[in-house]
Amino acid sequence: MNARHQGTRPEHLVEGSRQELAFQVHEPDAAALERPVLLLHGFASSSRLNWSDAGWLSALADAGRRVVTVDLPGHGSSPAPDELDEYSPSRIRAELLQLLADVGVRPYRAEDPASGVDLIGYSLGARLAWEFGGAQPQLVHRMVLGGPASHDPLADFDLAAAQQFLADGTPIADRSTQELLRMAQLVPGNNMFALMSMVQAIKAEPFTPTEAVPKMPLLLVAGEQDELASTMPELARLSGRADVVWIPGRTHADVVTSRAFKKAAIAFLAS
Amino acid sequence: MAELSFPLPDLGEGLIEATVLEWLVEPGEQVERNQPLVEVETTKSAVELPSPQAGKVLRTYGVPGAKVSVGEPLIVFEVADDAAGIVGTVPRDEAPKRRVRLTAVPDED
Repeated sequence: MNARHQGTRPEHLVEGSRQELAFQVHEPDAAALERPVLLLHGFASSSRLNWSDAGWLSALADAGRRVVTVDLPGHGSSPAPDELDEYSPSRIRAELLQLLADVGVRPYRAEDPASGVDLIGYSLGARLAWEFGGAQPQLVHRMVLGGPASHDPLADFDLAAAQQFLADGTPIADRSTQELLRMAQLVPGNNMFALMSMVQAIKAEPFTPTEAVPKMPLLLVAGEQDELASTMPELARLSGRADVVWIPGRTHADVVTSRAFKKAAIAFLAS
Repeated sequence: MAELSFPLPDLGEGLIEATVLEWLVEPGEQVERNQPLVEVETTKSAVELPSPQAGKVLRTYGVPGAKVSVGEPLIVFEVADDAAGIVGTVPRDEAPKRRVRLTAVPDED
């Protein structure tokens, strides 16, 4: 199996405070010749659930790729700070930029296959990837966006109703809020305070895909039954350089393990 | 030759069953240890189960969409007699570094 480095590295300040998102570098068995792949998990998930348990780490290792996983604030092994600002998408993007520098990612040059970075993001991770790729074209070679939407479903989350529900069980009227909260609560160890902080920070910075459209080639993948990704074609239209793959029979929750998804992603990043 | 059966493993967190999403191997196929066998979905998440065993697949249980309970048979391998000689002996090579893995059921014959 592949070697891993735990997240220790020089201390850095990002926007004035210490960067401390938990990350891991997964090396393939033979020395990787190509640029690393950064994996960004979805809301209320983690690197373990989204990438390890779903079989992505072994698939990417078999493909000879070096992989960097990172847990979003309040998710997985990352700390769950009290400050709302720590959860904002802009802050997370700044931390990702620092992380890539720390793991040795160099600016992308077309003639050097080891330069730059590839991104695979799922759901909220796809939104973060879209914004990151749009803002950092000098680093990002290609991106795979899974279960993406042109409109962040978390921006419509009824936070007041969710907090009321968590406090005293008052039923939530909005179906999407109800479903997101149900999914969040299913994962043991999920820090509901941190997840609600993240929703609040996202509501303050909703996704506006037109603001910085990534210029590199994109692969957009979603389950055919994924209601949250029904606006994926809008992202393809904005990009103008996107391949679109719909996986038959799969939903937002279960497309992540799909072999067809992994194969398409690995082939797309290698081309 | 002997048969070695693996049940659906305990997926943790009190889960008692999983739904088969897709088999990645089929009967008759020779598989490597740690090769992905099947995708299953629980109420919490979707996971890919790696093979605990190198060998020929004899049978798989559960078509896509079917529910399998924890402890019920999931897959049966054909193995050399000496590999199954001691009841419940698990293969000797290094265990897969995965959170969830299949464990052999003792042969009751």
